[in-house]
Amino acid sequence: MFRRRINQVVAYLSLSLVLLSFSSSQAQAADYVPVNGAGSSWSANAIDQWRRNVVQYGMRVNYASTGSSDGRNQFKSGTVDFASSEIPYGLKDGGVVDTLPSRAFAYLPLVAGGTALMYNLKIGGKRFTNLRLDGETLTKIFTGVITFWDDAAIAKANPGIALPKRKIVPVVRSDGSGSTAQFTSWMAEEYPKIWDEYCKAAGRSTPCGVTSNYPVIAGKGYVSQPNSQGVSGYVSQNANEGTITYVEYSYALKTGFPVVKLLNDAGYYVLPTASNVAVALLQAKIDTRPGNTYLTQILSGVYNSKDSRAYPLSSYSYLIVPTAVSGSFTQAKGATLGDFAYYYLCEGQQQAEVLGYSPLPINLVKAGLEQVKKIPGVNAKNKDVSKCNNPTFSPDGSNLLAKTAPMPPEQDREGYTGPITDPNPGDSGSGGTVDPGNNGIVDPGNSSNGGGFIDNGGVIDSNIVGPAYCDNDTGICQPVSAAAVTPPSGFGGLAGVVQTIALIILFFVLILIVPFLQLMQRKRR
Amino acid sequence: MANTEIVEEQKRQLHGLRIRDMLTTLTAATAAISATGFMFAVAPLNGALSFVLLSYVLFVAFYALITALDEDREGVKDRVASVIVRSAAVVIFSALVFIVVFTITRGFEALPYLNFFVEDMSLAGPLDPLTTGGIIHSIIGSLIQIAIALAITIPLGLITAVFLNEMPGKYSRFVRTMVEAMTALPSIVAGLFIYATAILILGVQKSGFAAALAISVMMLPIMIRASDVVLRIVPSTLKEASLGLGAGSWRTAWMVTLPTARSGLTTAIILATARGIGETSPVLLTSGFTASLNLDPTNGPMVSLPLAIFQFVKSPEPTMIARGFGTAAVLMLLVLILFILARVLGSDVKISKRLAGLLKFRRGDK
Amino acid sequence: MANIIIGMRLGLSPRNSKQSSTSNESQSQALAISSDSPRLIKHVYDAQDQIFRTVMRAAGSSVLVIMAMVGIFLALRASEALGKVGLGFFTIQAWEPDSGNFGIAAVIAGTVIIAVIAVSIAVPFSLGTALYISEYAPRRIKKFLITLVDLMAAIPSVVFGLWGFFYLQNEITPVAKWISQNFGWIPFLSVQGSDPNDPLTSNTIFTSSSLIAGIVVALMITPIVTSVMREVFSQAPIGEREAALGLGSTHWGMVRNVVLTFGKGGIIGATMLGLGRALGETIAVYMIISPVFVIQPRILENGANSVSSLIALRYGEATQMGMSALMAAGLALFILTLIVNFVASSIVARSRSGASS
Repeated sequence: MFRRRINQVVAYLSLSLVLLSFSSSQAQAADYVPVNGAGSSWSANAIDQWRRNVVQYGMRVNYASTGSSDGRNQFKSGTVDFASSEIPYGLKDGGVVDTLPSRAFAYLPLVAGGTALMYNLKIGGKRFTNLRLDGETLTKIFTGVITFWDDAAIAKANPGIALPKRKIVPVVRSDGSGSTAQFTSWMAEEYPKIWDEYCKAAGRSTPCGVTSNYPVIAGKGYVSQPNSQGVSGYVSQNANEGTITYVEYSYALKTGFPVVKLLNDAGYYVLPTASNVAVALLQAKIDTRPGNTYLTQILSGVYNSKDSRAYPLSSYSYLIVPTAVSGSFTQAKGATLGDFAYYYLCEGQQQAEVLGYSPLPINLVKAGLEQVKKIPGVNAKNKDVSKCNNPTFSPDGSNLLAKTAPMPPEQDREGYTGPITDPNPGDSGSGGTVDPGNNGIVDPGNSSNGGGFIDNGGVIDSNIVGPAYCDNDTGICQPVSAAAVTPPSGFGGLAGVVQTIALIILFFVLILIVPFLQLMQRKRR
Repeated sequence: MANTEIVEEQKRQLHGLRIRDMLTTLTAATAAISATGFMFAVAPLNGALSFVLLSYVLFVAFYALITALDEDREGVKDRVASVIVRSAAVVIFSALVFIVVFTITRGFEALPYLNFFVEDMSLAGPLDPLTTGGIIHSIIGSLIQIAIALAITIPLGLITAVFLNEMPGKYSRFVRTMVEAMTALPSIVAGLFIYATAILILGVQKSGFAAALAISVMMLPIMIRASDVVLRIVPSTLKEASLGLGAGSWRTAWMVTLPTARSGLTTAIILATARGIGETSPVLLTSGFTASLNLDPTNGPMVSLPLAIFQFVKSPEPTMIARGFGTAAVLMLLVLILFILARVLGSDVKISKRLAGLLKFRRGDK
Repeated sequence: MANIIIGMRLGLSPRNSKQSSTSNESQSQALAISSDSPRLIKHVYDAQDQIFRTVMRAAGSSVLVIMAMVGIFLALRASEALGKVGLGFFTIQAWEPDSGNFGIAAVIAGTVIIAVIAVSIAVPFSLGTALYISEYAPRRIKKFLITLVDLMAAIPSVVFGLWGFFYLQNEITPVAKWISQNFGWIPFLSVQGSDPNDPLTSNTIFTSSSLIAGIVVALMITPIVTSVMREVFSQAPIGEREAALGLGSTHWGMVRNVVLTFGKGGIIGATMLGLGRALGETIAVYMIISPVFVIQPRILENGANSVSSLIALRYGEATQMGMSALMAAGLALFILTLIVNFVASSIVARSRSGASS
């Protein structure tokens, strides 16, 4: 009796499994062997979209965003076919050298992006959206040297703004992350003294260098949150005024919060827009000296780019691919991986901007295409960069970006609006920073649609070209015109409420089934 | 004293509602709220929480006062205790129901689409609307993983529990101690253990099977401990009777102990299953991540529901977060179905018999 | 079979292992007495039983081996880190494994703080709910409530995490602020760095605190604690209940003197079980706290920590040393929970309702 019942359950379970799998079965091309990867959660959004796009070619790419170091470790131990990471092998993180894997490998540029500095600051009850900072001040904010928003250094970069005497609350990542690595590598390169001092106070050995785990000194008012979603969600909570965090630009855009305009070496305060990041990355050098750092990025040129459009805090992440067959990595897998790499380096970059990243500039794409050839089993193509439709270079292969990327407006030049150097308040236009009363302060309900690509007083739509749909309750903005995004249709308003209620009722009816059955049972007895 | 005369001929009422209780409650509540309102108007008090807390305290006080009018000390205690017990239950149930409703509401954006239940995510990237892509891969992944885990833990767990009960001695006491100790194992360490042994040393792929192993390590002590407790309350007179009639220990265990404890054992198994299916940390390290359906647990990554939730809510895209909440609702629904299944299987024999009859279209069962 | 079940429900079953082992002894004694002269009792197992016993022993041993392997593996992996810092591991309040400056003091303290908050919120409510279900609820909805509680115990922890992060965090900060303003004179309810008179003070100081994590964990453990307590209460002997009522006790008097007295062991056992789960909770805590690496006893203030969330936060970017340090932390948590479990079982074993918890 008991056994029969078990048999029935098993039969039903398997039947439902079969039914379910039928309904979702999809034809899969047999040409490609699936490949598995793991690593950076920073790049996950882009890889997720690309792996979805290559399904149409019959490729299956599985990617687990478990963190860069985990990706590197797994690649080292051979449990994945590729990894993605912001930090190359062989670097010191927190004083320990990450050894190179024994299998042969190569780095490919994966996707570029600027580290945005999202903040929540109100002046006179209105959200302030035009905060400008220079690198040193920024470093001092995140190392606890500057602790109040009305600090002289901040006031100097934002002349005429009545900054409140509010405590600065830096929000950092509590988990190990690529964003932290990118931010700290910039601080370690540009302001090693301030950074090392902070590190030392936090109990780390110096020189501190790049790290994926942000060191936090207790009692300094730092807040740590896990994931980009965590930090951006924290900053965007209305009550959490005075907070500032480093996060991918896409998260700031999605939550509708402003990001800092950062001073570059050319003396302009610029936003981390896709084109500004791409312009900066034109200066990225790839280390071709043999050794531990072979084919890693040298970003000092990026941090100090003399282009007036360059966003200093720009960098890109790597795809780490094997260059020899070993373990579970076969020629067939190499073919899949190679074609995937060709896809994302070329066509895939078109979507980088919508996804909140920046397209790789021409120098990095070319370098990447060279590296793909090293993957065993790859269908080596002489990929024609002109067919890529990459928005940063034109079909003839020339560097379109350097020519066409919009220049920052004159009012964002350092010192332009300074009360001493240029006391002429009338000229700077609506988005300017001169008018002390309300400039750059955008009423949340009436966010500015200045229209331009960059020269927008507020930050909210500077990367979303065209109209944007912003939900006032959630503060979430969605670009309506972006090709791939269509907001979910239907089931709004009353119908939605009715359906929710119906669903909840259904849920409780299900709960009630058992007691009801038992009640029936008792009645019969 | 006057009371006793009234109740003299009546049956003492222990449960249920009395009109006087309702009136007392109503009066006390009204008094408490108005008193709090007055205090808020007069004293420098504010905040919704302080209002609620203060009025609750006042309510209890007034209630005690009113009942004191016609009850003695014990009676007042009785009434006040019953109010406090009831309010605790109300708070807990409403909080838990709220969590469930909150999750369903947040996930509702994703739930009305049929594709959410029948498609996988292989054709849906971060930029795709909710009308494409679904979570069938993680539903099936969860079911396969839990099925493998159950195939390992049910025989091993139940036999071990029987062993702990049927063969008492130093050795089994030691095993029991170890099992009890292992219920303390943080679930993430179970994942770490399988990752370091099965995957790194034995070379098992990151797959559904590896995830099932991790879930098994986590579930096994829970199941053994729960079944051990259940088996312990099987009356020993029954076992003695069986042994006395000449049955061996195998027959006693199979024909007497296990059937007697069946309902409890089912609950033990289902509680362990619910934990196993809902834990993120053991699968985080062992299953890998994929967006497409994978029916082969030994080959390639296989995603499960909790892992899918964990990955969805990390995304910046609002659609992905909606999918995460939708997945959470589905996970709860799945647990609910398992529960119902277990209750039907484990509860009264007659129901299951009738169900079996219904399913087999047998006649004669009325 | 029905009789057996009724027998169980009436509480006729022996309630702990000690009793059942004594009854085994009495059985063999009875056997010995029943024969005319004392004789040696010898068990003779037939082939079936032999196989069964071997299988049982094998199953027990394999479970033992698996468990031992986990323990040994943890200890082995942790030894590298423990060797590096030695005893400092228990006193250092920092977590920088790669520079050799790390210790468990702050993290364990944080874990305990969160767990204690969770338990002290969960236990009174669970006690009330369990009493309501077993003693007060109308018979009609009783079954339903029992099912509901069992079901709630099965809500995945990630759901609680989502709720805590997306909802509770927002709603609770004003409450925390109110508490700190009115009860700030109690040391652990005070908040440093917040001046109630300064209008520019941010609420950030009240977020991501031990209290918020504690509340979420409390809700998480409430169903399981309630379920265990209710189970124990329902086993309070009917005879004693009726006796109390028959002697003129009020309903509450009966509950207090019969049910609660009987269930004392079960209440402690359930509390400890809840404590054990609260200590090990990962994802819900992970999503809420802002980790700090000093002992932070001010529960309303931003900054908390827990071992399992530390592991979840750091394993992704951990170097080999970092991993070893995390293993050591896991081991420490494991030992702590172990102690809690043993204390609980030794208390419970002495009580009347012991076996059922």
